[in-house]
Amino acid sequence: MARKSVLLVDDDAVFVDAVSAVLETRYQVRTAANGHEALAAIATTPPDVVVLDVMMDHLSEGFDVARALRSNEATRAIPIVMLTGVDEVFNVRMEIGESWFPYDRYLQKPVAPETLLATLGELLG
Amino acid sequence: MRLAVKSAELHQVFAAELLDRIAWFVRLRWAAGAALLAFAAAAPHAGMPLEWGRVWLVAVVILAYNGILHALLAIWRRNNQADYRWLARCTLIQILIDLAALVLLVYLTGGPGSPFLPFFTFHMVIGTIMLSARTMFIVGGGAWLACAALFLAGGTPPGHPPIPVEMRTAVLGMLACALGLTVYLTATVSSRLKERGVRLFRLAEELRDKTAELEKLLAEMRSIEARKSHFMLLSAHQLRSPLATVKTSLDVLLQGYVDLASPRAASLVAGASERVEGLLRIVGDLLELAKLRETAQRAPWASGVNLAQLAVDVADALTPVAEARQITLESSYDADVVLARGVPPDLEYAIENLVHNALKYSRPGGTVHIQVRRSGEFGMIEVRDNGIGIPPEFLANLFVEFARAANARRHTAEGTGLGLAIVNEVAETHGGRVEAESRLDEGSTFRLLLPLRGGQTQDPHVTKSERRVTA
Repeated sequence: MARKSVLLVDDDAVFVDAVSAVLETRYQVRTAANGHEALAAIATTPPDVVVLDVMMDHLSEGFDVARALRSNEATRAIPIVMLTGVDEVFNVRMEIGESWFPYDRYLQKPVAPETLLATLGELLG
Repeated sequence: MRLAVKSAELHQVFAAELLDRIAWFVRLRWAAGAALLAFAAAAPHAGMPLEWGRVWLVAVVILAYNGILHALLAIWRRNNQADYRWLARCTLIQILIDLAALVLLVYLTGGPGSPFLPFFTFHMVIGTIMLSARTMFIVGGGAWLACAALFLAGGTPPGHPPIPVEMRTAVLGMLACALGLTVYLTATVSSRLKERGVRLFRLAEELRDKTAELEKLLAEMRSIEARKSHFMLLSAHQLRSPLATVKTSLDVLLQGYVDLASPRAASLVAGASERVEGLLRIVGDLLELAKLRETAQRAPWASGVNLAQLAVDVADALTPVAEARQITLESSYDADVVLARGVPPDLEYAIENLVHNALKYSRPGGTVHIQVRRSGEFGMIEVRDNGIGIPPEFLANLFVEFARAANARRHTAEGTGLGLAIVNEVAETHGGRVEAESRLDEGSTFRLLLPLRGGQTQDPHVTKSERRVTA
């Protein structure tokens, strides 16, 4: 059986490197450094799950990507994991939080490798 | 009025008081009218002269115009009539009518022998309280003259026994003394009371001003407090992100996701070390900013700070960096740009920050130009580059802590987002400012403008430092 694919989106190259090392133990991993790259990569080959950072070039870039995915018929079903240093209280303060959050799971950095793997395992079955 | 009414507000307070007194006057007059009616009714039965019964005429006149006043008063109160002069004039007219009624009453009840003569003094007391001593001396004089004319012409109504002229003169003399003394004594007492009232009012006013001042201060402090906690929140977030990366990298290594001997492990360790370096930079800048904000008064202020010399030192120190990045560092200095007072280490830090930024955001082959010259009342350090520039929408946030434009972050990971906030802080403690101009992809120009005649911050402990070598 082919490995499921994960798209890891984060602007911190060191973080991407570390998390990739974890994910590669179970999944096929692709990476993107910002929202643009992420959407382009998804358009080419949709991954089985997207792991998204929130603050990249723009304050709410991760949310923007998530909303774009949810509003597109072709990508609506892709599960999204927010993995960010920004906590929800802070989101509301920065007025980027909304009553509905366009993601399936929310993990706060730093996340323990096994927690990340467990979360993805739940989503991908 | 003897007491000058200074503020419009005080004027209003006096007017309101006068209105209250007019109301009191109207109530008294109702009583006086009623008493007169009773007197008129009782006179014929109490063995008093029969003519005294005609007093009811005066009573009716008094009650009639008091009715009109009563109605007017209600209208004034409803319209919030508060013009002091106008009210004072109305009061004067009332007193004149009252006195005219009294003269008539005195005449009807026997002239010089009238039992109503003492009532003149009551009117003087009330008039002096409500108006002024000067006015009441004139009004009282008028009333006295009216009595004098009446008494000297005979003084008694038809039917009264005549009164000898010596007696009439004596009564007039007594009346003059009584009126004059009454006005004088009343004025003395009432002006003291009024002065005390004014003082009390001024005190209340002062208290109100002070309270407003304190409230403003409190609001300011609250806003500073809010800014501080927001800054703390931002700082914590800025520290947490690289810390999270370091922690994740270490966990990955510790938990065996990567073979420790592999090149990947080495790369993860190098990455973590890079993030720790960034963290140290942020902490360093935070300390610098805190130091600037908390200890501006204790900073090592010096007199005669040569800006060109500082810029030369910075340029020298950064030449290796420029060479490493293949950037040409040019400079032109006017040697006589000397600040009356300044904090050399802080200024050097600020200049270094600007030049370092210019080098950081320039492309290989670029040029950074440092210029020091006078600009009016200011000493100006200009740092110009032809680097990546600043997006126009970001220019407004340039000096906000932790703000970094997207193109800056893409260009280099190095940079804490605190440098320009520090430069701005240095400029402000020196009473100056920072200006920035930029075109995206064409380059940026920063100008640090510092007043030559010393900053706004007054510090009594300026230490003299020898002027450093001029360029």
